[in-house]
Amino acid sequence: MAGPSAADVRSILSLPNLSTPGPSQPRKPPATTERARKPEGISRELYSLIGPSAPTLAAAQLSKPRLKQKPNLGGGGRVKWEWRSFKNGARNDPLRLSHWVKASTDPEAEYKFAVYNVQPNSYTYSQEEYTRWLGDKEWSKEETDYLFDLVRSYDARFYVVADRYEYPESNRTMEDMKERYYSVCRKLVRNRPWAGDDASKANLLASLAFDKEREITRKGYVASLETRTASEIAEEEALYVELRRLEQNERRFKKERDELLRTLLGIESGLPDIMADEESLNATTTVEPKRSRKKGDTDPPVSASTSMNTISLGQPVPRKQSAKSAAYDALHCIHRTEVPQTTTTATKAAHQPVYLRSYKLPTPKSATGPRIAQIMGELGVSHTRLVMPTRENSAQLESLLEAAGALVETKKQVDRIEQEIRIAQERLGKSSEGGDDEAMDVDENDGEGEANEDGRAQSVVSTRSSRPRK
Amino acid sequence: MVIYGGDEVAALVLDIGSSSLRAGYAGDDTPKAVIPTAYGYTVEQDQEGGDVAMTEATAEGEQTETPPKRTKLYVGQNGPSVWREGMEVGDPVRNGLITDFTPMPSLISHTLTEVMRCNPAEHPILVTEAPWNTPANRERMAEIIFEEFQAPAFYIANTGVLNAFAAGKGSALVVDIGHTEASVTPVVDGFVLRKGLAHSSLPTLVRAHTKHLLTYPAYGRQGIQLFPHQLIAAKQTVDAGAAARFTLREDRVVGTTETWKAWYEARESEEWMQSVAGVLDQGWNDQLAAQKGARHYEFPTGYNTYFGVDRLLVGEQYFTHSPQLQASNSDLPKTIPALISQALTACDPDIRQVLLGNVVLTGGGSLLSGLSDRLQNELSRNVSHSKVHAPGNPAERRFGGWLGGSILASLGTFHQLWISKEEWQEHGKAIVSQRCK
Repeated sequence: MAGPSAADVRSILSLPNLSTPGPSQPRKPPATTERARKPEGISRELYSLIGPSAPTLAAAQLSKPRLKQKPNLGGGGRVKWEWRSFKNGARNDPLRLSHWVKASTDPEAEYKFAVYNVQPNSYTYSQEEYTRWLGDKEWSKEETDYLFDLVRSYDARFYVVADRYEYPESNRTMEDMKERYYSVCRKLVRNRPWAGDDASKANLLASLAFDKEREITRKGYVASLETRTASEIAEEEALYVELRRLEQNERRFKKERDELLRTLLGIESGLPDIMADEESLNATTTVEPKRSRKKGDTDPPVSASTSMNTISLGQPVPRKQSAKSAAYDALHCIHRTEVPQTTTTATKAAHQPVYLRSYKLPTPKSATGPRIAQIMGELGVSHTRLVMPTRENSAQLESLLEAAGALVETKKQVDRIEQEIRIAQERLGKSSEGGDDEAMDVDENDGEGEANEDGRAQSVVSTRSSRPRK
Repeated sequence: MVIYGGDEVAALVLDIGSSSLRAGYAGDDTPKAVIPTAYGYTVEQDQEGGDVAMTEATAEGEQTETPPKRTKLYVGQNGPSVWREGMEVGDPVRNGLITDFTPMPSLISHTLTEVMRCNPAEHPILVTEAPWNTPANRERMAEIIFEEFQAPAFYIANTGVLNAFAAGKGSALVVDIGHTEASVTPVVDGFVLRKGLAHSSLPTLVRAHTKHLLTYPAYGRQGIQLFPHQLIAAKQTVDAGAAARFTLREDRVVGTTETWKAWYEARESEEWMQSVAGVLDQGWNDQLAAQKGARHYEFPTGYNTYFGVDRLLVGEQYFTHSPQLQASNSDLPKTIPALISQALTACDPDIRQVLLGNVVLTGGGSLLSGLSDRLQNELSRNVSHSKVHAPGNPAERRFGGWLGGSILASLGTFHQLWISKEEWQEHGKAIVSQRCK
């Protein structure tokens, strides 16, 4: 009847029979024990349905779902609250109100809102102080008292003070009240002995400053701002838009010009985003770059593309020289000169490229040029070319040229006036013989003096000729 | 528990308006009890065992006004609105001020003990007042609260300030359109600027105009009869615009008093106004008004019709007076734009910008459809920067003053301001104006 059992298979395969119960043996006891211990995490109904014969499912059910741990929102245990009466420390009377508090809190604790009852410090004055410092012909003591009382009770809210101000036979504006109040406070601070240092006193006085006229003017402006008509407002808006447009145009123009300069001149354009070659500068130390922007070697070269947006057309902002670059300058005899900062950076004239100092020596004006050259030649100085165009040398040459120019100018003036005098003398001589001799003599002498010197002045530079005129 | 500086001490907030009296616990967002301020009274001797029979009017002696002795007061929801033979209706509040203090204790005690079921002797009570309230009035109110109700503490706060608080603002220009009074109150840092305060009985005029509009034949219809439903025995359905077919309760018509009838007719016309009337948000324009479309409304008599342009004319009264009206009456109450400009002119130029940026529209009358938009438009037409704060929640506007009181009285820092019973006994009436600035 029964097929080959496991034991038969074992015996055929000559496997050891390891204490397995024979098929004839009842399997009841283990089954009952398994049913008895229903695995946890599986409902009774489900277990009775599937029984122990669904191991995979049971295993799936057995593993409890791993949920995030619920946050423990404090307590867990019950908190006891009680309706308790309390005393408010900010009150001066024995009123006891009640509120709900946690039973664990201290019943004798200070009411926590009492700390917000802060009184702003207010100024008071005695009768003596009033008579000594605070008298004012516009304000009586009573009215001042009334004002201070109001300011105190409304915590210096002057809008409210001005609203509630009802002193008989007085029509005060808010500015009047503020002026009086602050002037009294200032006088009190100034005249009373001061415990702190002078700075804090000055601060306090500054905080109590009140300029009535200015305040009235300001209020007038505010009021006029409100009374603008719609067309005025529209005009204002239009003007503002126009202004913005102009600014934008200016900016665009500036940018385009920079582009152009950079393309045409390269480094000579002096625009900050083109880095000068350090090596070439080191080699030619006589060439002193005016640009103060040149920095130490540590700075990485700024690429033209990145700094394009940030450049400003004006002179580059002078940077603080580090100690290192100062030493470098000293070593290489570099003088850094402050390029005059122009306020109107947007104008064309503001731009200043790099130049050699010797190029900038003033050339004499065409009219006086030959004369100056003559002077220079007499002095044995070549004004067109300096052998050593150092800073000092070029400055001296410049001043020399200036002096020569002035001399020539003066000479010209002298000549002209002498000519006039001569003409006038001739005219006088014709019309009235022997007019006033004295004056003529003076003129004569003067003119002679000039004339005598004239010959010399023609050729040699003489300071005497210009002295009497100056 | 401290949330946003709040500390509840179970204070009661009592807001007495022209149309209704609101009461509730501080910290709530709506009042627990809302009853009409009007009260009914009979002067007969018979003790009609009514469910709302109130206490006898307090025989104070100093009150010489009506009602006389042996009167019986009917207050609350079932007070004036219930028909009683020979019952007169009195209104203790006129122009926003309590003018008749006789029914006040009854009204308050009905609200607190009957509706809210609480003992006023256990709670501090905060009462509101109109910004133009008189010192005598507030002292009388303090007396009632302390002497009649034995409250442990009392405070009287200004509705202007409270409405600003309800909107979450310390400084605001409060435009309050109530039942009888429209007011514009500048509030700075929680203080009313009294010199800038402007108010007029504009809503009274608007309601009178509404009643006139309905009861007189106009716009192609007969004058409408405003019989309250209590007086109608039967009615038949009629087509829109057709004459009403109804029968009156003749037994009641005889015993109906004039004051009750007037009160109820005013109520009918106000109900019509609340449900149908509106205002154009861009100023009057015949074409736009015609485009707005008609609305249907049925009166208690059964008469029903569509209201077109005329329903919008009603709201227009808040902003402009018709030339005919101005010609016939030189002493018209000021319109809302006029009130606002009056209030602003009296204020410092510095504060005007602040106020215009914080316009708070409140009051039950402001719920007229389109009114807040219209106000915003009127303002932006005249000033460059203005912002109107008008809560969309009708409860916040109807109970704005109460809500502000609820906020104020639940603040922890406020509890130092209460006038305690001890202080009242010690200092007397002077403490009220000293404490409630």
